[in-house]
Amino acid sequence: MQSPSKQMRLSVFQRFYIVAVVAFVLGPFLPLVIQSFAFRWAWPDLLPSTWWLERRTYSPVPLAWDYVLSPYSQVGVATINTLFIGFAATLLCLLICLPAARALARDRFRGKRAFEFLLSMPLIVPEAVIGMALLMIYIRLGLAGSYTGVIIAHLIPTIPYMVRMLTSVYLGLAPDYEEQAAILGAGRVRILLRVTLPMLMPGVVAGALFTFLVSSNVFLLTFFLGQGRIVTLPTLLFSKISGGSLDASAAGIALVASLPGIVLFALSERLVREELFVGGLGR
Amino acid sequence: MRGDRSRLIVILELAPVALVLGGLFGGAVVLAILQSLGFAPWFGINTFPDFSYFARLWSGEAFWISLGFTLYYAVASTVLALVLALILSLALLKSFTGRRFVKFVYKLPLVIPYAVGIALAILMLGNGGMLSRLAAFAGLIDDPSGFPSILKTHYGWGVIAVYVWKQLPFMTLAIAAVLVGIGRRTQEAASLLGAGPLTIFFRVTLPQIAPGVVTAVLICFAFNIGAFEAPFILGGGYPDTLPVIAWRYFNDADYALQLQGMAAVVSIGLLSGCILLAYLWSYRRFERRIGRD
Repeated sequence: MQSPSKQMRLSVFQRFYIVAVVAFVLGPFLPLVIQSFAFRWAWPDLLPSTWWLERRTYSPVPLAWDYVLSPYSQVGVATINTLFIGFAATLLCLLICLPAARALARDRFRGKRAFEFLLSMPLIVPEAVIGMALLMIYIRLGLAGSYTGVIIAHLIPTIPYMVRMLTSVYLGLAPDYEEQAAILGAGRVRILLRVTLPMLMPGVVAGALFTFLVSSNVFLLTFFLGQGRIVTLPTLLFSKISGGSLDASAAGIALVASLPGIVLFALSERLVREELFVGGLGR
Repeated sequence: MRGDRSRLIVILELAPVALVLGGLFGGAVVLAILQSLGFAPWFGINTFPDFSYFARLWSGEAFWISLGFTLYYAVASTVLALVLALILSLALLKSFTGRRFVKFVYKLPLVIPYAVGIALAILMLGNGGMLSRLAAFAGLIDDPSGFPSILKTHYGWGVIAVYVWKQLPFMTLAIAAVLVGIGRRTQEAASLLGAGPLTIFFRVTLPQIAPGVVTAVLICFAFNIGAFEAPFILGGGYPDTLPVIAWRYFNDADYALQLQGMAAVVSIGLLSGCILLAYLWSYRRFERRIGRD
């Protein structure tokens, strides 16, 4: 029998395990950073024999970070596209999911189970099925290769998470406050802006951050429906490494592609309580 | 009064989401099925209902090998990620120095695109990669070809490593949430009654966190079976996994092959649907056996 205090401490195995997980997650980034600064890094050297900076003045073409930061690499365009599509998809998703979450949390109606089932389908149906079939519909509607089309497509994988997170916040918010505000003479818009939204804020922030993160990670839908005309960081990196090798500039692009997620995630750790994120995941 | 008013409002509130999911998502699914059965008037093809696309696809031996690869990658990485996530989420319950740091770091892959994970795999696991260099440094091999092939080979660990790297945080997050929710009382009670750690885990903890585990497994498995980037870049080439096959049909100059591609895509959907249903069915049985539900 163990005492509770002993149970709360890590065993030796768990200690090693946690170190191993951290190494598994973070470890590969070290060679990625080194690779992005390398000029010549042959097997079996553990560090590059020639660095990018040593050669940049002799080279007729831009090398490594010079290339990544130049307009030729399209990194700038891809970053702006990723952020723009992410913001637009998040805003749109929030707008259409707020009322739906309200209905799901507050009302009982026929077909509720069916609707909830429909909501979880995008998580279960493989993305490849959707992407390829959607292209036909998009060509018909004239949406293929347009920003509008890509933004709308990003709603499909994000709606399930957004609705769940918002519904779980709505469930915790009793209608009393809104009723009291109404009794005190506040109008509908005023109630929405001054009472409902502020109380929903934690869920809105969590849902928005998660939606943005999912959207900035989407590859297949952007790649198919953007028709190669809309470059985002995931699609740019994909075309760079699709040959199965990774040069210094591809390593640089991979680092840039990791940044939006990491920055937003660091923000969300400060802004959002974990339970809210989890409210959207674990049900 | 409220009844009539609220019904209209509920419909209006649900309409936008229903339109996107029903119209685009549902429409895409229906269209995929129709096309795989020979309905494509926009290419001048309309032989609906025509099962020859499925017949041609399913009769080739390569298809079944592909199906095997697709399943292998999906099952192996889901199971591996699940086991690793269970161990991690149990460890994270305890208090230790650096817990905040660890809880931040382990979640990072969740927010980083798959393509980055693939880039990391190329860098670490390739024959000229870091692990190979470390092996040379340790004197185990003296030529890059002496390192076992992990990428660009069938049954290679490259694809699985990327999936596990990316999905370990997702699963851990989902499981840890349920673990925190159930508290420690039942485990402590079992411990006081003399149960060992393994018994406690399998007989007390696991049944309680099963719902969270089931959801996380469902989502990860469905993703793995339909994912395309990792097997396309890191896989062994012909015969490819099913999503890669569908992709090749789609990019073929011959338009008519798109219908063949749709048959491949629908096959993926069927496969994943059957497995998920069987999985849910056996979970229901488990629930009923332990007297829940």
